[in-house]
Amino acid sequence: MLGGHMESAAAPPVIEFRDVSYQIAGNQILSGFNLQIQSGESVVLLGRSGSGKTTSLKLVNRLLSPSSGEIRVKGVPNTQGDLIRLRRSIGYVIQDVGLFPHFTIERNIGLVPKIEGWPEERIRARVQELLQLVGLAPAIASRYPHQLSGGQRQRVGVARALAADPEILLMDEPFGALDPLTRDELRREFLLLQQRLHKTVLFVTHDLREALRIGSRIALMESGRLITVLSPIDFLRSAEPLASAYVKAFGEGLESAANRGTS
Amino acid sequence: MKILRSSAYTAAVIALALFLLSSCSAPRSDRVVVGSKNFTESFLLGEIIAQMIETHTHLKVDRRFYLAGTYICQQAILAGRIDVYPEYTGTALTAILKQNAGGDKREVYQRVKNEYERRFRLTLGPAFGFNDTFAMEIRGEDARRLNIKTLSQAAAFAPQWRAGFGYEFMERPDGYRGLAATYGLHFAEQPRIMDLGLLSRALKDHQIDLAGGNTTDGQILALGLFVLEDDRHYFPPYEAVPVIRQETLQQHPEIKPVFAALAGKISDEEMQRMNYAVEGQHRDAIEVVHDFLKNKNLVP
Amino acid sequence: MNVFRFMLHNHDQVLELTLEHLRLVGFSTLFAMFIGIPLGIVIAHRPRLNKPVLASANIIQTIPSLALFGFLLPVPWLGSSADRLAILALTLYALLPIIRNTYTGICGVDAAVVEAGRGMGLTESQLLFQVELPLAVSVMLSGVRVAIVISVGLATIAAAIGAGGLGEFIFRGLAMVDNRVILAGAIPAALLALLADFAVGWLERRLRPR
Repeated sequence: MLGGHMESAAAPPVIEFRDVSYQIAGNQILSGFNLQIQSGESVVLLGRSGSGKTTSLKLVNRLLSPSSGEIRVKGVPNTQGDLIRLRRSIGYVIQDVGLFPHFTIERNIGLVPKIEGWPEERIRARVQELLQLVGLAPAIASRYPHQLSGGQRQRVGVARALAADPEILLMDEPFGALDPLTRDELRREFLLLQQRLHKTVLFVTHDLREALRIGSRIALMESGRLITVLSPIDFLRSAEPLASAYVKAFGEGLESAANRGTS
Repeated sequence: MKILRSSAYTAAVIALALFLLSSCSAPRSDRVVVGSKNFTESFLLGEIIAQMIETHTHLKVDRRFYLAGTYICQQAILAGRIDVYPEYTGTALTAILKQNAGGDKREVYQRVKNEYERRFRLTLGPAFGFNDTFAMEIRGEDARRLNIKTLSQAAAFAPQWRAGFGYEFMERPDGYRGLAATYGLHFAEQPRIMDLGLLSRALKDHQIDLAGGNTTDGQILALGLFVLEDDRHYFPPYEAVPVIRQETLQQHPEIKPVFAALAGKISDEEMQRMNYAVEGQHRDAIEVVHDFLKNKNLVP
Repeated sequence: MNVFRFMLHNHDQVLELTLEHLRLVGFSTLFAMFIGIPLGIVIAHRPRLNKPVLASANIIQTIPSLALFGFLLPVPWLGSSADRLAILALTLYALLPIIRNTYTGICGVDAAVVEAGRGMGLTESQLLFQVELPLAVSVMLSGVRVAIVISVGLATIAAAIGAGGLGEFIFRGLAMVDNRVILAGAIPAALLALLADFAVGWLERRLRPR
């Protein structure tokens, strides 16, 4: 039913979770999860381990399937249509990066364009463009992952996710394995990138500071349930017990961390 | 990328190498391979064939002797790893063709030849002239004193005798049981089961009076033993014959006259003598064969 | 005449038996690869199957080789050709190292790499051929190497049932009580095993992912 979007004033949410539950081996990982993510937003799923945030992320590109409920991408349930098409239209960045050790950086970044059949020239140009975008030297293209530092590798990871210019980015604690300085650097750069590219981002983290900096909205999760969804400022002032617990746990100076603008 | 390409190449190279290796076989246009089983008599026959081919043709001979048994030789000749080896018609009939033994030596020879040609693309050359079958041996002096030549005649004396046989002969249905039934043999006591190698000695030393050996035992001559005639033809014929690949004969027709020349040239006694020379006197087998061939004017 | 002069004098036969030996090893390893590698891939992706498959291959390995040759002799189509029988038996013995190393190699590929690949939209076959197999190839080769070395050794026993090869020298030498003949079989066989071990080992090292 494609006519639907004409009548409503707003376009459908880019990502929508409708009453999603996920259960495995008798454990309820996610229950009654409802969330809408609009175009250009960068929504952070914040919670501790076991809160269901990574699971929610993986439900979007169907690395996992929900036990009940539905996930819609651009208004269409993600179970309809080709799985491979879906995944190639979504950028995926994970904590351990997962660069292919036997490919050069160029081949790593250019993999999706290559299997999508882009001509060599276009791929090469795109790789250079992306390297510049993520702040890496052009010479990196011919190196191998093991020759790069952790920070450089994750930049490549982001570049790879952006290669085919997807509308959506899924990011699972992408900076978690890096040292604090590099983490900070990458967060700042990511923010700038996002301000340029306006991707729709779903970002998972357990770090409130990171959430405040990067998210346009923060979705707080605990034990598989969505507790509250607030903008960074509202989160800091929230009376919701779990939210204020987080704020307290993360200590001083958070006000400065909260980003005040979105889009 | 490098790994991807290299591993594809590797896989291809390994597969190709293995495949090539598997299809390898040494070219054999100018050689004939002679096989034999792993006992002295077979080895001597193999050496006889080899020396004859070497002397009378321009072919080189490769010797693959001491192959461990009938099945191994059969497999080797079917696969073309050997071109010829000495076999016994009775063995071919029962062990390879899996048919019942029966008939005189002419019939058995013909049956084996026909089947081999039909089923295996092998053929039999003419028989060498001796029969290596079971021999019921008594002391030479007893044979003369009692004036007996055949098993039927010997049956009369059996109740006064002790007999000795090898384990296999006692166990086989076509061994002792059938023999005793055919000739009505009743010995004084149950026959003694002994190691084959000790039978002739025991016979000579009067521990037994009749021993179940083989017709071509070297000890027969050495100890003056006498082989009783199987007048009721209980034992199937085990004529020694060369088994030859038909393809070899086609490629090298010059070996045909070699086997024709050997037809009927080795008697039971002559084979006994050669066996004894090697096993009893420990003479060199190659010399023994050469002497034999020379004496028979088969080689210059 | 010492053993080396003996081998030189009979070089035709040494060469012939060596080629027969290689033929047995070559075919059986090839077949084991064609069966074992796909099987290893399947059980790496379907963990529930891995126990029964690995257990079966393991059981085959525990059967003494001469006994296995003996069991198969009466089987109609097999027993009539010692070569066929030997190649089948050798193939069975080569399966375990090949299946197991394929399985280990693929399972050993970094999970993050596989997850990233899948999440990016690589099809299962693209994932297998472009990512998993190239990264597992060194470990898989190690399995092939072990299989070849085992086969070279076992093929010497195949001579006992008439399949030819270097084992024939050994058995004949035993029957003739002639050490030169025994060694004329044992030495080339040992050299073959060493050579294969070295050559495939070199390849393994070259293809190890950094």
